[in-house]
Amino acid sequence: MKKYMTRMGDGYRVELSEEEIWEDIKAGMEDAVSRGGVPELSGEEQQKLFDIITMPGTVVGVEFGKEVVMTSDSGAGKVGHLAGIQIDRIIGAQIHERVCANDSVDLGHIDYTYKAVKAVMHDEAADMQHTVNNTVMPILYGAMTNLGQYTKPDGPCDNWAELLPQGKIKEALAAQEEAVEHAVKDIVYIGDGMYECGADGMNFDTCGASGDADFLAALKAVSILREKHPDMGVEMGMAGEFVLGMHGGLTFDGKRLAGMYPHEQVKVCEAAGATIFGAVVNTNTNESLPWNLARVCTFLKACTDAATIPVHANVGMGVCAIPMTDFPAIDAVSRIDKALVEVAKVDGF
Amino acid sequence: MSKETILKEAIEAVKKCKEEEAVDVMNRAIAEGLDPVEVLSEGFSVGIREVGDLFSRGQVFLPELMLAAEVMKSVSAIVDEEMQKSGKDADKKGVMVLATVEGDVHDIGKGIVASIIKTQGIDVIDLGRDVPADTIVAKAEELGADIIGSSALLTTTMGEQKKIEEILEAKGLKGKMKTIVGGAPVTERFAKRIGADAYAEDAAEGVEKVLALLA
Repeated sequence: MKKYMTRMGDGYRVELSEEEIWEDIKAGMEDAVSRGGVPELSGEEQQKLFDIITMPGTVVGVEFGKEVVMTSDSGAGKVGHLAGIQIDRIIGAQIHERVCANDSVDLGHIDYTYKAVKAVMHDEAADMQHTVNNTVMPILYGAMTNLGQYTKPDGPCDNWAELLPQGKIKEALAAQEEAVEHAVKDIVYIGDGMYECGADGMNFDTCGASGDADFLAALKAVSILREKHPDMGVEMGMAGEFVLGMHGGLTFDGKRLAGMYPHEQVKVCEAAGATIFGAVVNTNTNESLPWNLARVCTFLKACTDAATIPVHANVGMGVCAIPMTDFPAIDAVSRIDKALVEVAKVDGF
Repeated sequence: MSKETILKEAIEAVKKCKEEEAVDVMNRAIAEGLDPVEVLSEGFSVGIREVGDLFSRGQVFLPELMLAAEVMKSVSAIVDEEMQKSGKDADKKGVMVLATVEGDVHDIGKGIVASIIKTQGIDVIDLGRDVPADTIVAKAEELGADIIGSSALLTTTMGEQKKIEEILEAKGLKGKMKTIVGGAPVTERFAKRIGADAYAEDAAEGVEKVLALLA
């Protein structure tokens, strides 16, 4: 029986038969349908997935005319911080533009949190000004809401992660609500400053990382910033496939945030004024690439169908079917990218 | 009232986070001569595991999960009291030391695992996050733990779980103290490779695996 080389979610190499690949495609798709309440992929889409997974060649690519844009979150710092090459962030942004051919990049502080950046906003603004003056592509300022940083001892609010296990539910909810207001104030301050010195927009990275209150803070800040600066571009990228209900009762635009999946997340981001939605679906390290990819495409097809703004899939390690390993293999990455464009219909990465 | 009805009511009381209702169900079960330990393990515990599963699917949220854990605490207290009255030992199934490994500060998931496993009659000592492997093992030795649970959310910190196995091996504790590993990048294959006794994908599976290790 012919076997096809593919990967597990942790990057482990595995050979699967045609029958096994189909079983995994069906199971991954059904998992998304059952969790997210989204429609199944059509027979044609499933066949397309199978064809992409079993294509010969190490690297595969999208068909002509289906190329998409690429942005890099905290991209300006990646060559310096991650590769350890001693360059500053402005050169990092230029490398992304002129060597890596990115279509946009975000400049971010190494701490990558709005609260931490507040104290060094003017230095950040100076770097932003130099970066936009030395590049052609849109430059966003990126950071995370990271609501946990507003809890004691780092911040003014009680720590809900400690209160909840003590059964102090009301106090835990109130602490989260209080933290939202602090975060919104900080984010708007940074957004205003960056926009004034020439940033093309803001990248709200890893929204909801600390749960639904974290997501709410980002949505509220986006809403305020877009009202003040109607031409500001805003990308909102998510932290996970569903919004973790650390609070459970928070709403935006009349919708409860906790438990939202990508096709629902994109609608509240649109309502807030986001101009790009960064979708995330978690990679299950115990399942195969066909299982993960079918699941991601099922979630994201529903998301792109629902969206009226561009949807960019986050294809970093451990999300959107990319194996969770330090150096994801190109055979997996290129197949995933092709499927996300041609089956899930994403607009960018 | 039949045992089946009581068990169903117990499951529902936990799922709906109804503390008074749960206490009432347990008291009625005892009044009718049912074994409180059986009602706890086949009723209430089933309910909390279902809540854990719904949480992992984004259908139940953390405050509800914590409320459900509170309900479990109340009924467990009644069971403890009954066991003492009848002269039997309180039904503590074992001692578990749990921690997020060194270099890793992600502990939301680990905290949830601790809360749910505690409801199963297991003493869980949560050492917190960013805990060195030798501290974890030393604490486990000090407390006479049956199980060491460790969590790693990063590919760069999962190696610390291997360190725990190596320390246990060096101290001659391997096999005597069972280990269970979890966290997003961790897999069954990784667990086998480093010599851990069990792997769990989420809190609900963690409970099953821990109970199996203690059986």
